[in-house]
Amino acid sequence: MDEGMHHANYYYGHAHVLARYCALPNPLHPPRIKGYLQHGWNIGDGMAPGTPFVDGSRVLVWSEETRRRSWSQGRRNGIVVGAPFAYLLTMEPEPDPNVGEGTIFYPFHGWEGQQIMGDHQRLIDEVKATETGPITACLYWNEYRMRPVRRLYEQAGFRVICNGYRGFWWRDTDREFLVRQLAELRKHRRVVSNRLCSAVWYGALANREVAVYGDPMVLDNADPMFGGEPRLRRQWPEVYGVQTDFAACHQLARQQLGADELAEPNELRIYLGWPTAATGEDEE
Amino acid sequence: MTALLPPHGADYAAALAAPPLTNLHRIGDEMFAWSDRDPARSPALPRGAVLRYLLSGLTESGSRVLVAGPHADEVVTALSDAGASVTWLLRSLRDAELVAEQHPTVTVVAGAATKFDPADRYDLVVAADGVDRLNSAEGGRLSGDELLDLLAGSVRPGGALLLMHDNHLGPQHTLRLEPGARFAKDSAWDADLETRRPASRQQLVAQLTAAGLVLESSYAAFPEPHAPTVLIGEGLVGDVTSPLRPRLGTALAQAYAAAFRNRPVLSDPRELIERALRAGAEDAMAAGWLVIMRNSEAPPARGDDARLLLGDLHGTFTYEVTDAGTTVLQPLEHPVERAGLRRIELPAVPGANQGYVLEERLLDLCAAGDLRGVRRELAAFDRWLVSQAADGRLSGPVAVAGLADIFVIADGPALLPTRWEPIEPVALETSLVRTVWEFAVLLITSGRPHPWPITMSAVDLTSALLGMLDRAVDEAAVRQAVALHLALETAEQELTPAEQHDRELALLAVQPGTAPVDVAGYRELAEALWRQRYQASHLLAMMEWTERMIKSRDLALSKMDWELQFYRKRLAGRMVMAARAARKRILK
Repeated sequence: MDEGMHHANYYYGHAHVLARYCALPNPLHPPRIKGYLQHGWNIGDGMAPGTPFVDGSRVLVWSEETRRRSWSQGRRNGIVVGAPFAYLLTMEPEPDPNVGEGTIFYPFHGWEGQQIMGDHQRLIDEVKATETGPITACLYWNEYRMRPVRRLYEQAGFRVICNGYRGFWWRDTDREFLVRQLAELRKHRRVVSNRLCSAVWYGALANREVAVYGDPMVLDNADPMFGGEPRLRRQWPEVYGVQTDFAACHQLARQQLGADELAEPNELRIYLGWPTAATGEDEE
Repeated sequence: MTALLPPHGADYAAALAAPPLTNLHRIGDEMFAWSDRDPARSPALPRGAVLRYLLSGLTESGSRVLVAGPHADEVVTALSDAGASVTWLLRSLRDAELVAEQHPTVTVVAGAATKFDPADRYDLVVAADGVDRLNSAEGGRLSGDELLDLLAGSVRPGGALLLMHDNHLGPQHTLRLEPGARFAKDSAWDADLETRRPASRQQLVAQLTAAGLVLESSYAAFPEPHAPTVLIGEGLVGDVTSPLRPRLGTALAQAYAAAFRNRPVLSDPRELIERALRAGAEDAMAAGWLVIMRNSEAPPARGDDARLLLGDLHGTFTYEVTDAGTTVLQPLEHPVERAGLRRIELPAVPGANQGYVLEERLLDLCAAGDLRGVRRELAAFDRWLVSQAADGRLSGPVAVAGLADIFVIADGPALLPTRWEPIEPVALETSLVRTVWEFAVLLITSGRPHPWPITMSAVDLTSALLGMLDRAVDEAAVRQAVALHLALETAEQELTPAEQHDRELALLAVQPGTAPVDVAGYRELAEALWRQRYQASHLLAMMEWTERMIKSRDLALSKMDWELQFYRKRLAGRMVMAARAARKRILK
């Protein structure tokens, strides 16, 4: 069978985080989400390019801006729920905000279907020359598994980590992916990437300094429909450069991740098509 | 259409035995075998508490009053009871005979306007029906302009004319959905002569002024000329800066909902009126204009005309709203109790005029997709409602108030005048669920833009809205809320048990594709059809997807089963299975 869509609702343990927020009795095994949950920060209609779509379904997007854009692309049934990461933050308040030190660096990643093209060594050199404290490189799982890529970062003296496997077709989903990512973000003072991506917004929302600089790299078959990398720079210049305005980036992250639009637990259950506390189907 | 001949022929014996009617005068060209009191043949008769209130201010004991054209009996009775000497002009002989018998003190004149003696003069001329039913099918006819001149000429010096003039641009005409209405109605033997009648309030006043009268006061009347329940004084008309504006919107929305319930229309008149109000164009879109003019040399003293007059259609209850406050002008005749609810005798008065109607604000926020704003407003309303409760129960008008009845002022939410209150206190949850559910029904059935999925039912949307307050709602709670709503509708509309039953089923089943549950607008029906198609095509696509998913999951399951069997057959697997079996036996 072809690549499906609904299973993407479970990527990164997103559904599991939301099940926990909704206080479902069995958050490790959340019920099906009736709709398409946006699974990464997105400059398109909220869904990954080429996602097979069941006509008329709900599209559960992270931000009001994405909802409007999605509508402009013909998706009439969108609703803003906010990013699962933003829900996680409400459940995991930061114990001591002054602990973080050094930089966590997220090299722009591809995925199973699209590999990135670029020079990792040049990027490493630039980050090393710019950042002052210890550096952690957080690699995407497929790059983490590529020994040559991983070794480049290790040889540069970076601590190399991977948040886990996002899962595919409900198999091998790392349910603690986001929790681990949050913990890693909080260990650092700065969050850096060579391309504006979810991790940068997560960092800004988690009250970290963020910076986007260096070779942005490109996907080997990138879809230019929504403007690609050049559009990112034009639309969100605030996060670009070595030093950025902390408050401005945090505010942008709140918008992009829908942090001020989060639903109440009972409300979210309705949006996701999950049983509510009052319907008494929790034990199913 | 009704048969023109009675089924069993005329009862001549009864006719000969009846005493002669000394108070009936036939002036000629009266209509036989015709009645303007038959709702199937002729429009409804003018009535209403505001009309009676205005007439009471113009009538003195002993004054001579001409009632021109068909009116509801209550109007004529009120005039007689005030001590006036009433003459009543009717074109239908049958109606004239009937009312002459029922109102022996009234002089009934039967015949066409062309035959009416223009030399007769009166202290008060009442034409709340306008001039459209003064012409007869017999003999000659007068144009609208000529009929107005005739009425103006019937006012003696110092006397007054009260006239309602139908606005052909009003929603009752513009939005009418009656294919072939002209040919379906016995009363429509004449096409409306648009060019020979005033087309605006200003033209109406100008024509009557030219006929020798001076303006005393004028109002834009809603929702229908024969049944005015909201009158906007000329000082308030078109004034978009008036603090009374938001409250005007609520009053008109409720008046139109009541008047157009279950009537097929092109589009819900509430939307047109709401837009007219925003544009300050309510005078142009009014159902009609009510003018009071005097036959006087000098302009009469003008009263406070920046007022909003509201009254019941049946009964006497009338009150006015001005910048200074809300005043009851005529109380209820007697207490009314129906379906466990009691009619309110004193309209609620919010502490200030500056504020906004909660429903209007929420509709705006929904259209803007401002979920945060919706949560904020609902939370404030919820807090206020909770503060009004005692032991988890609500008493008084607030228990059945809708979001359109909530006026948010600087101090927080306050209640606008409502019509009913429960006799026994209502559970807070039931009241809250009813209010929110009613709003959800409005959002869906009116096709208003909102930020939630199109495919949500009223119950889903109610759950989502209450979820914003982190309140969970179950089916039983919604049923109770709908039962409360049904009681409210029963009290207001005097529904029969059969109607209540049908209504309950309809209200419990508001789905994305449900058409409006009150006013049957063609546009809203077409939009409901669009939503139905959306939902149907989504369901078909979903079915196809689910089939594919089941196939895929079956395959995955089969592969995992094969894997399991493979591991079970090995020694380690067999040991694990043996250990599990042993554990089971021990636990037994």
